[in-house]
Amino acid sequence: MLSSILLSEDPLSPPWRRYGLAVLGCGAVAAALWPFSDQRDLPNTVMCFLLAVVAVAVWAGRGPAVLASVLSVALFDFLFVPPRFSFEVSHAPHVFTFVVMLTVSLIVGQLTAGLRTQARDAARRERVALGLYGLARELAGAVAVGQVDECVGRFLWAQWRAPCLLVLPAADGVLVPVGGGFAGAMPALDDDLLRQAYAGSEPLTAVSGAGSGPVHYLPLVGATRNRGVLVLALDEGEDLGPLLAALAALVSTAVERLHFVEVAQAAQLEAVSERLRSSILSALSHDVRTPLTALYGLADSLLLGPPPLPAGAQDIARALRDQALRLSGMVGKLLDMARLRTGPVSLRKEWQPVEEVVGASLKLLGSALEGHPVRVTGLAHLPLLEFDAVLIERVFCNLFENAAKYSPPGAPIILAATLGPALVELRVMSGGSGFPPDRLQEVFGLFERGQAETAVFGMGIGLAICRAIVEAHGGSIRAFNLPEGGACVAFSLPLGNPPLIESEALLLEGEGE
Amino acid sequence: MTNAMVLLVEDEREIRRFVRHALEQEGLRVLEAETRREGLLEAGRCQPALVILDLGLPDGDGAKFVEDFRTWSSAPVLVLSARSGEYDKIGVLDAGADDYLTKPFSIGELLARVRALLRRGRGRPDAEAVRVSFGEVEVDFSVRQVTRGGEAVRLTPLEYRLLAVLLANAGKVMTHRQLLREVWGQAGGDNSHYLRIYVGHLRHKLEDDPAQPRHFLTETGVGYRFHL
Repeated sequence: MLSSILLSEDPLSPPWRRYGLAVLGCGAVAAALWPFSDQRDLPNTVMCFLLAVVAVAVWAGRGPAVLASVLSVALFDFLFVPPRFSFEVSHAPHVFTFVVMLTVSLIVGQLTAGLRTQARDAARRERVALGLYGLARELAGAVAVGQVDECVGRFLWAQWRAPCLLVLPAADGVLVPVGGGFAGAMPALDDDLLRQAYAGSEPLTAVSGAGSGPVHYLPLVGATRNRGVLVLALDEGEDLGPLLAALAALVSTAVERLHFVEVAQAAQLEAVSERLRSSILSALSHDVRTPLTALYGLADSLLLGPPPLPAGAQDIARALRDQALRLSGMVGKLLDMARLRTGPVSLRKEWQPVEEVVGASLKLLGSALEGHPVRVTGLAHLPLLEFDAVLIERVFCNLFENAAKYSPPGAPIILAATLGPALVELRVMSGGSGFPPDRLQEVFGLFERGQAETAVFGMGIGLAICRAIVEAHGGSIRAFNLPEGGACVAFSLPLGNPPLIESEALLLEGEGE
Repeated sequence: MTNAMVLLVEDEREIRRFVRHALEQEGLRVLEAETRREGLLEAGRCQPALVILDLGLPDGDGAKFVEDFRTWSSAPVLVLSARSGEYDKIGVLDAGADDYLTKPFSIGELLARVRALLRRGRGRPDAEAVRVSFGEVEVDFSVRQVTRGGEAVRLTPLEYRLLAVLLANAGKVMTHRQLLREVWGQAGGDNSHYLRIYVGHLRHKLEDDPAQPRHFLTETGVGYRFHL
């Protein structure tokens, strides 16, 4: 019974009501005892007044308890101690009684009131803690940041009627409020404080002037970086620091968890779509290449006989074979482009000499370069570069092929390398009429050709592939015409930090010299 | 070479048709299989002198075929693969395949590879020779001497070892991993840039034009092939 009174919420909060209760209580005791005043049972009268003081302390707190103490002593003296209706004291020991009574009632009143305050504080703390547990449980189940905002908002509103706002960075890093269903009477946000709180790890407080209480900016400190800011307007006299810190920790854990869930989902999605893409492309590539391979091989076997074909039929068989090969090359380029364009390019980078890839692509092109002597300069002394050999080989193949295609028979093709401070530039130069000067940029577009409609075979995909590959390597590519005539395509690859090569001590055992 | 048995594992009928035709013109006997499983059964039954294996079989992985086949046969395996499948090729070569041919391929290319592999399959005359020569270069293994146009060429021990390994496997594609293991031992590990540098050294010392090599050929993304 006492505990329920002690824990009850302050029902008499206005001071005048609490002090009124003190006066009323003492008056009531005096009135109740009045009929028995003739019996002169002074000790029991004192007890009754003490009881009144305790009751006032329980219900009304410290100040009223003091008032009740003084009032009790005064009433006791005035109404019950002879001479009655006077504050005079006829009997000296009564003074001692008054002093003891006053002391005891003051002490008992204060202790009782203190107990009451403590009990009430404990109860409130317990309620807040319970609320936090509930919040933690709800946050653990949240599947979106909007839900986090809602849970926190409901908690703060239920506990302190405090409006709050959850501010999280958007994809571009700008801080944006989430939800806002509980922002209510929140004063306008201070952007500077918001940014400061987001950048730091300490909570900041803005004391705004007009009418509203202080606004707290709590940074949501995550494991790797700050996840956002929780803004709340809370005017509570007590020190809520630890509590707000706990709240911020809960919210940041929830937001961080959601962030990582999102990251994991995105990664999974990307992996799935990457798998799908590559399986579609390889199925397509298999389905298209297989009949082309058969076509090419069958035409070739027709050509080789036996029996040897008549001359006219031989030409036809050869034409069939060559067209099949061209078609296969085109399909290859289209598939390359599809691979490069439909998602992030996955590079298998390794440190290697450029010279090797150049050699491989020249050999791969073989007869396509017939009649075009290739001259290579400056490659031997280049450092190792980090690149995907298969893709860079395609770049060289496409550039050499173009050079041969668009330059007159017999014109040499020149590959020159220059070493810059941070990159290597490789130029493929050829004779011929060069690029149309007004379309030097456009030639790298998909399905663009230097000369719009010519007899030269091709479909304008080679340079687009080159650009995609070079840019995936962090390089750049450009086309221009040489002052002495002819075209040049130059692309660069970044130098990076090549691995250290320990040079081997010479030399061959058993050397004859 | 005549009458040697070739097993052709390929699911596409038209490709089987012209490959068979070409091989028979060459005087070889041809056995066909459409799937990996059937291929292994046939291989076990008739002990082919050469297997031609398509990498795009419907029931699976060519590397698995080669692994199984290698448990009981050392007959050469020639792989037919699509151009984009560089990294599938590495797997099947590491598993023990000897060479590959990229689709589409001409009959001339096919027969050249087949001849080379059948020669190798009947012992390794090249590897056992004391002297090997290519271009202007002569290598005398007995005295560990390399000359080019009559002049001695200075090689480091690793360059010499790499040259010896490449010569011993002439005509065969060696993956980066295989070469690293043979030349550098298990410690070779990730240092494939060393391999590339040493091949570059050999080209500069032994090729006429290192940028357009005729003997130390690069199989981009896969490894190297030494062409005699």
